[in-house]
Amino acid sequence: MMPNRTALKTALLGSALAMSSAAYAQEIKIGFNGDLSASPSAQSGQAGVLGIQAAIEDINAAGGVLGRKLTLVVRDDLSQPPKSIQNMSDLIDNEKVVAVLGPTNSGNALAWKHIPNQKKNPSIGCIGSATDITKPASANAENYMYRVSMVDRAQVAGLIAYTKNNPAIKNVGFLVETTGYGQGGLKDLQELAEAKGLKPVATEKFGVNDTDMTSQLNKMKSAGADAVLVWAQGTPIAQLVRSMEKINYFPVTLTSWAADNASFFDTAGKTLAEKPIFMRTITEDRTPKQQQLFDRLAPKMASKSAFSFAAHCYDALMITAAAIKQAGSTEGPKMREALDNLQAPVEGIMKTYNKPFSASEHEALTAADYRWTHWKDGKLVTYTDDVVKALKPADFTQ
Amino acid sequence: MDVYLQTLLSGLAIGGVYALIALGFSITFTTTKTLNFAQGEFIAFGAFIGVTMLLLFSGLASTTTAVPSEAASAWRYPAAVIAAGAVAGLMGVLIFLLAVRPFAGKGGMNWVMSTLGFGVMLQSIGLAVWGPAPVMVPSPLGDDVLRIAGAGVRPQELLVLACAILIMVALDLVMRRSRIGKAMMAVAHSPQIASLMGINVGLVMIGAFALSSGLAGVAGVLIAPIASASLFMGIGFALKAFSAAIIGGLNNPRGCIYGGFILGVLESAVGLWQAQWREIVVFGLIILVLAFRPAGLFGQAAVDKV
Repeated sequence: MMPNRTALKTALLGSALAMSSAAYAQEIKIGFNGDLSASPSAQSGQAGVLGIQAAIEDINAAGGVLGRKLTLVVRDDLSQPPKSIQNMSDLIDNEKVVAVLGPTNSGNALAWKHIPNQKKNPSIGCIGSATDITKPASANAENYMYRVSMVDRAQVAGLIAYTKNNPAIKNVGFLVETTGYGQGGLKDLQELAEAKGLKPVATEKFGVNDTDMTSQLNKMKSAGADAVLVWAQGTPIAQLVRSMEKINYFPVTLTSWAADNASFFDTAGKTLAEKPIFMRTITEDRTPKQQQLFDRLAPKMASKSAFSFAAHCYDALMITAAAIKQAGSTEGPKMREALDNLQAPVEGIMKTYNKPFSASEHEALTAADYRWTHWKDGKLVTYTDDVVKALKPADFTQ
Repeated sequence: MDVYLQTLLSGLAIGGVYALIALGFSITFTTTKTLNFAQGEFIAFGAFIGVTMLLLFSGLASTTTAVPSEAASAWRYPAAVIAAGAVAGLMGVLIFLLAVRPFAGKGGMNWVMSTLGFGVMLQSIGLAVWGPAPVMVPSPLGDDVLRIAGAGVRPQELLVLACAILIMVALDLVMRRSRIGKAMMAVAHSPQIASLMGINVGLVMIGAFALSSGLAGVAGVLIAPIASASLFMGIGFALKAFSAAIIGGLNNPRGCIYGGFILGVLESAVGLWQAQWREIVVFGLIILVLAFRPAGLFGQAAVDKV
């Protein structure tokens, strides 16, 4: 009797497995892993999830992908790298998601970028902007890290292009904070400036909690800098422009996009907040498509300035869906091939994506898609002047 | 010339803050031979008590990241400063009773851990109540830059400096002239003898913690219009203030004050040379002071007759 019993068990187990996998086959799971509650950037994560949910609703309303519905599995990483790593394994191994969107914090993406590559499971970033997130592990390694968001290095390229093409700027100085964010920006600034033949007259640093940068600015002033490129978070940029007022020194101020934070605006005050010029993907002059999504999500969005992340994440999901459709499969390697070579254009909120990625380019948005932005009467609006108008895509080369 | 005056002014403004907090360290150290390592959290807590009071007094609503400027006008800001000082003082009594008294005077370093832990608890409570975002607090004197011989300074920075000097002079007088001050100095000298002389040593120690924590709370509301209120704002200031106290001499309240100003001006001056070397210079100086004058630069001057 024994052999028969084992056979029976095996048969039962087999059919049970077949049934459960048939039930799961109905839905395609997409993961989100990012900070939703623990740091000030949690608002960006919340907006991102709203954008993904909106995109999933739209796709499911149109019949899903490969005849199957999409569902979202959300994991909060509390902005902690260890938790974020754990979430990646949980999403990919236990939840069997076909791709992961997020994370909110660049540092967390850098902490787990080896996991999507090892498990051959595509990750499409739509919030964090650190340059290295989408870099392949080695020159010819298969790369499963993609992004639909800003990229620090592309912003730096934009700031350098503006400086280089503005005839009024004779001397430029670099001002960065002493954190990892500031130092990463300084590296990009120095490399791209050198490539473009731009030599800073001074490089100064300040602490993220400093309240007075007059010493650094006085050095800039005596070095004759008539433009400063600033890489720092929102509040220290605000302290910097406040210190500029103290010594009455207002060079052309080009900054990282952190100047779009509400905390920058509040700390700098209404008038001084209008000094910096920076790049952003969306201003308050929205396109009709952006306005439509904004109106749809506004009631649920805690911070309106985080809307850009909702739009990025919406597009990231649309591109993921297009890749599944083209691959005819949810297997990672096939999705990667499709992502690297998308045939049909993807209608997104930011733009229509024609072949957004290739084997070597994993950024869907580049400097040419960014908008020059500044604060005006308490709003983030498009900035323009003769220099901006004359900039060509070729000026943004990295 | 402007540049050096600017450096001096900026340094004195930040030095006033360091001095005020350093004084708080000195008060508990001289009376109880313990320190409140939660001083940084008391600063942040005080700042948010101030924010809450400003909104309560004015009946205005706050945006998530700023208090409207009308909320700080007239009597409201001074009232908020006093309220924050009082609440922080009460918390100081609490930290003494719960986290210091059980361990004070005994061997070991238990009070270091228990005051640090109290700070972590305070911060977690603060995060639950006020959230992690920094809040900009308006200055009661407005935000326009004042020019002094070509150097620019904000009214709030002068206010902090003035308040710091005022509080320090007042405390100095109380400590040296009044019975309470003399009692505190007696306890500092020797709790046993003070007790034999009929001084209620326990009460004096509670008072010292209340005073020290109250100063931190007041400092929080005073700094908030400069640095914006944040639950993470205190640690940096407290560490610098502690350094100032070490440089000046923990045993000597006046020395702590000088230490605060020296540190502020030094930081500002190093910024004129190489800003990224600032922390290295500051902590290098501390190591030098500890090596050659372990009691602090003004440590010797601490010999006071009681």
